[in-house]
Amino acid sequence: MNPAFSLFDMWPALAAGAVGALIPSKKDWKLRAGLGLVGALLVLFTIRTWTGPVLAEGETPREWPNLLNALIFLPLLGALGVVFLPRQAPRAIQRFTLAVLGVGFVLSLALLSVPMSKGWHFQYVHEWIPQLGIRYHVAVDGISVWLVLLTTFTTPLAVLASFGSIKTRMKDLCFSYLLLQGAMIASFVALDLFLFYLAFELMLVPMYIMIGIWGGADKIKASVKFFLYTMFGSVLMLSAILYMVWTYTKITGAPSFDLLALSRVMLPHAPQGFMKFGPQELCFWAFAIAFFIKVPMFPVHTWLPDAHVQAPTGGSVILAAIMLKVGTYGYLRFAMGLFPYAAGTASANLAGVAVLGGILYGALCAWKQDDVKKLVAYSSVAHLGYVMLGLFGSTPSGIQGAILQMVNHGLSTGALFLLVGVVYDRRHTRMVDEFGGLAKVMPVYATLWLIVTFASIGVPGTNGFVGEFMIIMGTYVSPRLGKFAGIDATLAAAGVILGAVYMLSVTQKMFFGPLSNPKNKRLSDVNGREAFALAPLVVMIFIIGFFPSMFTDRMKDAVSAFDLRFRDTFELAKSHGQKPPELIDIDDASFLKGAPPLGKAAVEAERKEREDAEKAKKAEGAKK
Amino acid sequence: METLFKIFPQSNFTLLAVILGLPLLGAFVNGVFGKRLGKDAVRLMALSALGIAFAASVVSFAMLHAHAHHLHDPTTHKLTENPRLVWEAWKWVSISLAGGTGSTTLNVAFAIDPLSAVMMLVVTGVGFLIHLYSTSYMAEDPGFYRFFCYLNLFIFSMLVLILGDSLPLLFVGWEGVGLCSYLLIGFWFEEDKNASAGKKAFIANRVGDFGLLVGMSMLLYYTGALDFAGIQAGSAGLLTKVQIWPLGSGVPSWLSFLQPRQPVEVYAATLCGLALFLGCAGKSAQIPLYIWLPDAMAGPTPVSALIHAATMVTAGVYLVCRMGVVFVMSPAAMAVIATIGALTALFAATIGLVQHDIKKVLAYSTVSQLGYMFLGVGVGAFTDGFFHVFTHAFFKACLFLGAGSVIHAMHARIHDGDASQDMRNMGGLRKYMPRTHATYLISCLAIAGVPGFSGFFSKDEILAKAFESSIIAPNVRGEPMWMPPPYLGKVLFFMGIVAATMTAFYMFRTYFLTFWGEFKGWKIVPGMATAGAHGGHGHDDDHAHGDDDHGHGHDDHAEDDHGHGHHAHEHFEPGEGKDKIEGPEPHESPWQITVPLMILAFMAIAAGLLNAKIVGETFHMHSLTWLDHWLEPVFARASQSVKVPEFNATHAWMLAMPGIAAAVIGIGFAYYAYVMHGGAPVRDIAAKVPGFHRLLLDKWRVDEAYEQTVIGAVDELANTAVVADKWIVDGILAKLSAALVAGLGHVLRLFQTGRVQVYGLAMMVGLIAIGWFIWTPHPDAVVSGDASTGTYKVTAGSGVGYRFRWDADGDGKPDGKDWTDTDSVEVKLEPGKTQIVTLYVVNSFRRVAKRSFPVTRPKKDGEAFNLDELNKQLEQLQQLMKDEK
Repeated sequence: MNPAFSLFDMWPALAAGAVGALIPSKKDWKLRAGLGLVGALLVLFTIRTWTGPVLAEGETPREWPNLLNALIFLPLLGALGVVFLPRQAPRAIQRFTLAVLGVGFVLSLALLSVPMSKGWHFQYVHEWIPQLGIRYHVAVDGISVWLVLLTTFTTPLAVLASFGSIKTRMKDLCFSYLLLQGAMIASFVALDLFLFYLAFELMLVPMYIMIGIWGGADKIKASVKFFLYTMFGSVLMLSAILYMVWTYTKITGAPSFDLLALSRVMLPHAPQGFMKFGPQELCFWAFAIAFFIKVPMFPVHTWLPDAHVQAPTGGSVILAAIMLKVGTYGYLRFAMGLFPYAAGTASANLAGVAVLGGILYGALCAWKQDDVKKLVAYSSVAHLGYVMLGLFGSTPSGIQGAILQMVNHGLSTGALFLLVGVVYDRRHTRMVDEFGGLAKVMPVYATLWLIVTFASIGVPGTNGFVGEFMIIMGTYVSPRLGKFAGIDATLAAAGVILGAVYMLSVTQKMFFGPLSNPKNKRLSDVNGREAFALAPLVVMIFIIGFFPSMFTDRMKDAVSAFDLRFRDTFELAKSHGQKPPELIDIDDASFLKGAPPLGKAAVEAERKEREDAEKAKKAEGAKK
Repeated sequence: METLFKIFPQSNFTLLAVILGLPLLGAFVNGVFGKRLGKDAVRLMALSALGIAFAASVVSFAMLHAHAHHLHDPTTHKLTENPRLVWEAWKWVSISLAGGTGSTTLNVAFAIDPLSAVMMLVVTGVGFLIHLYSTSYMAEDPGFYRFFCYLNLFIFSMLVLILGDSLPLLFVGWEGVGLCSYLLIGFWFEEDKNASAGKKAFIANRVGDFGLLVGMSMLLYYTGALDFAGIQAGSAGLLTKVQIWPLGSGVPSWLSFLQPRQPVEVYAATLCGLALFLGCAGKSAQIPLYIWLPDAMAGPTPVSALIHAATMVTAGVYLVCRMGVVFVMSPAAMAVIATIGALTALFAATIGLVQHDIKKVLAYSTVSQLGYMFLGVGVGAFTDGFFHVFTHAFFKACLFLGAGSVIHAMHARIHDGDASQDMRNMGGLRKYMPRTHATYLISCLAIAGVPGFSGFFSKDEILAKAFESSIIAPNVRGEPMWMPPPYLGKVLFFMGIVAATMTAFYMFRTYFLTFWGEFKGWKIVPGMATAGAHGGHGHDDDHAHGDDDHGHGHDDHAEDDHGHGHHAHEHFEPGEGKDKIEGPEPHESPWQITVPLMILAFMAIAAGLLNAKIVGETFHMHSLTWLDHWLEPVFARASQSVKVPEFNATHAWMLAMPGIAAAVIGIGFAYYAYVMHGGAPVRDIAAKVPGFHRLLLDKWRVDEAYEQTVIGAVDELANTAVVADKWIVDGILAKLSAALVAGLGHVLRLFQTGRVQVYGLAMMVGLIAIGWFIWTPHPDAVVSGDASTGTYKVTAGSGVGYRFRWDADGDGKPDGKDWTDTDSVEVKLEPGKTQIVTLYVVNSFRRVAKRSFPVTRPKKDGEAFNLDELNKQLEQLQQLMKDEK
């Protein structure tokens, strides 16, 4: 195409860039360029994503198989690289970290270059420990791709913002960030339970370090609490994983940790009844508790406020925006994916917990907090209650809404934590009573806060509304929740009122009214770094709010395939009853693509075949 | 017209994008760049955005009219379908349907039909006038750009609400206007009172939005669609019975008293209608959610006129009209709407009677008038309810803007927000503000329902319909639907008349107090320049609001440097200004303020002619029933369920008489009380019932009641939740489990003292215990065998160096003399016999011990039980035990 024409095609992006560059009123050329770039790129992203990849008739999209490897190992290698950088050059370390994360983000955009049809994309399988059936198996589908993108999008912003407030031990900090980034991405793309478990645990370490070193007054206690809570759950999960692998080995003769393989194991379930457990229920609960702690769901949520209050701003943002999503994602992918029957029968009761203990209780607790960060932390409990409700209801649009709400919560709560960090850096307190009338001295800050607040309480036009709306509608029509679907949906809708109550109360106390505290009279408004970190989040809030189908259309196929498999397996399990474990057929070839072959002989045959092929290749290479 | 239709085809009517886009653009530009661009640019942006949007609206309306003409069927004189011009912008989301399989797609689609077209004209038209008014009213405010950003954003949201072609899209506008309302009520956010009022409005609205959300999910479930056409098509699904109590099936026995004999069931239509109406009650300030509207007067007056009188608050009525098909399916829901409407009309009117703040009176009168509208739509008079929305938009906007003009004048010398709005400080302004006075009077006559003015035609028709018409219940299988009693309409009519009397009285009370009598604000010194009060800027147009530093900040006197000592302060007693302050003559407002007033006043008269049904039908003038015909296709389906008697001129005029009488009595009493006797009769009445008067002044203390009940309960619940979270949830899971682990650790630590002596002692004790165990022999044995063969085997337990002797025949003596390694013996028994086997054990230390084991073979079935035998054996056993001792 003529380059002039393609330039013309990009006019909205250029216009947006120009508008963005005009926004700062001060002569801050760096910020001007930055905002212009943000505006242009986001509009370009919207246009490209909206039209989607255009394929010619019969053309199969090309996927670079190493993309996910690059996304995982780039930050990990970066972490290694940081080790070799001199401690005395913090600026260099910062730039290096941002560069690695930035490259990761750009690379991750390539995930959108293929149509997200059902099944796995960018799949990569490699033998790891063949004796135990452990493989390095990564892939994305329409569900996980958004969480990977959320990770690569949010982390650089959080890291950038945190460089404004953290000045000590920069090398350790950057090492932690990069290690964390690699682990988080790995946990979203892992399809091997061993790999997932590894990533799940690996995430804990950098966050533990971050809270423990750069945290607030009570940092050690908070970091230990965070670690122990999560560890407790993950050990339970490990035992369930081992049981699943053992069962699989007993049936087929060859071990495998692969999710796709283990999905075919039908464990016996308990006869109907309250608090009755069969192997399926026990394994389900072991997985579920691990993820509920991570989400966190009532009553295992109390580590979250402590961790958030003590964590540094960057840590809080990553914790809230991404790490909690590992819990919700894990529940969807593993707990629901592996144990449909147990998950399906438990979901009506769990939905009640999500509504009462999450949405309503979390909101009520949030209302009464006098520490802004704690308030935001409890609001996370409420928001993730919506996400979990969408998953428990398990209707296609409810699940889509839940996934969208994961992204939404990441953006809006991430932005809220960044905003709390802004005043904390200036006043070194987060107590609501210390503030008041800030809108007068910090008008830009107040405006940003209001926008993010309204996204957080789900005002239409912002992203929060779309997610909540889809979840509430999905809950009401859900057959899984039975008679209580209507009640759950009604109470979840009532949570919308409480959301307004707590967010607007704190907004009024902090920003409106007379500027009574003399310490606040000379506060400076957001600086260039903060504005640049917040701008993409704020723009994304509106992009998702206005064009949600850009996102939901890409999850649609994956979600409906998941839903179908979930319902089919549920019915199968009903007829399976208490019979000993057996393998079931999954009627979805795209799901099983890349699964290990069944049985010892087949596994060995496959390995032999592959080795032969490699040998032949080598021989051919030698000949040439 | 042809050309226009070529550019904007009926199914892709992109002109709507212009109408919607301009206010949004205005909001963006003013909000982001307004501060730098300056006031003139902001004014230009805001006014041109609205002006062009209004012009485009007029064009769209004309095109819709032409389109309707095409659809006109000459034989039946009816339209073949509801004329619509549609613009589908993009796909929004798709939502799963009941059962979780199918789905419905929601587009960002906008459409105008006769109903939304009229509403759109009102919003853009009145909106433009109020923008124009605000350019002068807010001219001095430092937040000028912010104000117009919000105001433009409001217009955008309101247009989305009206034009949205599906319920969720309407909801986008619905919450959007709530958001703008929040921002504008709290516009002068430096006063906590204003910020609180904004928050209260938003939260009360959210309670309503909750209802709307629930209503939407029900509609999705029962009708399978959320766009208006789809809901209408699937509305039959709403005639499903829903069990609302008990909630689940398996009720525990101790709760069984809650279980009714018959499950309580209602129709989905009723539930859905009530849920949607909760939304309407929130937005349109009806009982029980009306409390936010009077407080919302904390915002700038143009905001009160535009948002809290003319447009936003009527959104609820619009929604009921829009969803008429759903509402008429439930006579119960309709009866609730009508009753709540009438109650609100009456209730708010009683409060309006005694308020002193002119804006408060107008606020309560708005609540009351909204009640009339709901009374209208609640009895199925959709056109008339909507007509009242239409006329009310003009006369109430005019009243508010007139009040604003007066307040503007009062601000010349009185800077306290409350005092400048207190009618006890006004009076006699007729002389000084002739244009404001005339327009205010016209609007008062309209709202009071004086024949000839627009308010008369709309209100009269609502009351007549309340008296005459009734809802026809849809046919359902089984038990027929609940119907309201037939006298309900008459009661509502009566309540409406009483409220109308009060309306006429309190509106003319404000009119007489403000414009008649003597001016009480300050001592007028003719010729005194306003410049004296305002330092530098002396022109009449210029002093909208206090000083430059902070918009409405009359609280901060240190910065409020006016250079004279006697300006009004916070504790301004009504009427005392007369003695304390001197000032110039109150002045008429500039043209930006008076021109909108005059246009609105003109419309307050002329709008009535659009649907002067009573005149039109009596004299067969079809042009006077234009709106009725225009809206007919919109309400075609809903009206089928409403029974309206044939028009009868005598009957209609008879029904109109009480309304006219109400207006006359109300105005007459106000004149008698305030003009002829200076307010004395009213004071006498108030003095006779001081408690009641106080109660009315305190607005029936409903706010306090809510504070004590609902809000207090939620507050306590939240406090409980916080305590429970800290001490129960965290206490058990974290603190208690940590304490258990720590406790266990403490106990174990006791054993790890590190002193060798202690370890040695422990070792000693252990060795002695083991040694004692080895020292003593343990004659233990296991009896095994089988009742069918009668062969039993007694096997002794082994031990270090153990040797055994057996007494298997039960004679009390060992069978052999020597100790052997035989560790088991066999005995053969007859059925029912018992044998005592004794085991002797000797260990390596030559210590001997013995123990007896009775071996019994049970009797075969059916054999008699031999008591003697058993007794004998028992004696034998006792003997043996004695021996052992």
